[in-house]
Amino acid sequence: MTAVIEARNLSRWYGNVLGISEITLDIEPGITALLGPNGAGKSTFMKIITGQLKANIGQVRIFGQPVWNNRHIFRRLGFCPESDAFYEELNGLEFLTGLLSLYGYDRKECLIRAGRALELVELQDVSHRPIRSYSRGMRQRIKIAQTVAHDPEVLILDEPLSGLDPLGKRRIIRLIKEFRDAGKTVVVSSHVLPEVEALTSEIILIHNGKILARGDIHFIRELLDSHPHMIRIRSPQYRELARLLAAENYVLNISFEPEASAVVFETHHRDRFFNRLNELVLDPGLDLEEITSPDDNLQAVFDYLVER
Amino acid sequence: MREEILRVFSFYFFLGKKSGRARTFFLLSSAAVLMAIIIRTYRLAGYWTEDGQVIFQNFLMVFFLQFLIVLLGLFYGSSLVGEELDNRTLPYLTSRPVRRAAIILGKYLAYLSLTTIMLVFAVILSYLVLNLDPEFRPGDLLTVLRYSAILWLGLAAYLAFFSFLGTWLKKPMLVGLAFGFGWESVIQYFPGTTQKLSVAHYLKSLLPQYASSSGKLGFLFIRLEPTRPVLAVIILAGIILVFLALACLIFSYREYLFED
Repeated sequence: MTAVIEARNLSRWYGNVLGISEITLDIEPGITALLGPNGAGKSTFMKIITGQLKANIGQVRIFGQPVWNNRHIFRRLGFCPESDAFYEELNGLEFLTGLLSLYGYDRKECLIRAGRALELVELQDVSHRPIRSYSRGMRQRIKIAQTVAHDPEVLILDEPLSGLDPLGKRRIIRLIKEFRDAGKTVVVSSHVLPEVEALTSEIILIHNGKILARGDIHFIRELLDSHPHMIRIRSPQYRELARLLAAENYVLNISFEPEASAVVFETHHRDRFFNRLNELVLDPGLDLEEITSPDDNLQAVFDYLVER
Repeated sequence: MREEILRVFSFYFFLGKKSGRARTFFLLSSAAVLMAIIIRTYRLAGYWTEDGQVIFQNFLMVFFLQFLIVLLGLFYGSSLVGEELDNRTLPYLTSRPVRRAAIILGKYLAYLSLTTIMLVFAVILSYLVLNLDPEFRPGDLLTVLRYSAILWLGLAAYLAFFSFLGTWLKKPMLVGLAFGFGWESVIQYFPGTTQKLSVAHYLKSLLPQYASSSGKLGFLFIRLEPTRPVLAVIILAGIILVFLALACLIFSYREYLFED
């Protein structure tokens, strides 16, 4: 697939403070999540790819065109900034039509597009209320509405889920997935791991301005050779299971959770472990209730990588 | 480019009309009308004998020329970029398909239009309040229109200068206040060419009857060594063009970072 966003050796400093350093990546259609703690460089990267900031070194292209001071690219790009900032005097409809008018649409077209965007984020009923009276969730949704109202091909969403209640988050996640299904390229940043997991498996881990890893969560996990995989098995015969597998040299550690009737194995060779487990399961009398991978989630991956 | 400027103009004219700041400055401008009403009442009661034209000239010099247009220019001009940074709304503008220079020019024109309405409303109304009597001739309206045009030129020049300051400096207000109410006032009392380093000098050079200066505040004219009217207009137009061009240039190439 052709890359929509191409970043090459992007570096950016704020005085002596490093924003991002030598970031090179291609982003293709679908949802890509930038994941990292606050101050990791996610927003700096997003500001550079949306032309808000210039890179000190390197270049970024969207659809093969440079971004900085290139107004033409903004017809194809929608940016949802992180800050909870609005023209508070306006109501939702005025906010959208006002921004849409900057694209050169006539009044009628602005109203049609604004109406469509409001419908998409389910804010039609409050479109005539001043934005200052909106709840946090509504403000986040109207911000997303201004991002998509001109029907861009690329959406850059900086922390779109921050400050939302669970219902609001679910709504936005569903919306972002709809954009993906419509063939758009969506770049989302977040520092909250479960949010990212709910959105996509295409993840870029960013920390201290550098990309630590990229890929789907399983791929990233595979990169962590220095860290064993954890496999948790719940079984009435968990002690017997531990005894049988303790003999295998690829099992590095075994710990018990008696209250849950579970045993946790650590291994570098997940495939060999599961092959052996399959053989054992065929033995009569060994009953497995649940197999999980406690560290096969973003939090664990992220912790490992940051420690590295 | 023209179309882009118009797009920005429409948006900000609409936004400006709805802002609380517009209401505040409209009320402030109306203070002149209120003062005119008070003076007129005193005149009717026989406590004030001075001619309406002379009182209005004092209004023109002290309130409009040395206070209101400087204040409007300062607050609206320096906020051209500053308000977008303070409110963190700048990305909404700079991620749209309009040139950065068009953003500056569109906002400048929108704010100039808004402040012109405030100014002209206050000038004409206070003039009428002070001078509308049985001897009033329709031809007098030409005088007030001429005054309004001069003040408008001054407003446009201050707005351009403070717009430039706003794009250039992070905190333009302090420098703007020092320039608008310090430098601009003090420099006029200097003899020779020094006084020509102020916008107010060229405005005063354009004001009719400056030589007579028979008002109570005629001392304000004492040291004025006027520039020829045509040259004064050309210089004021030059100030507007140069500072707007500089503002556009800076805004086009400069990055603006939020405080954190």
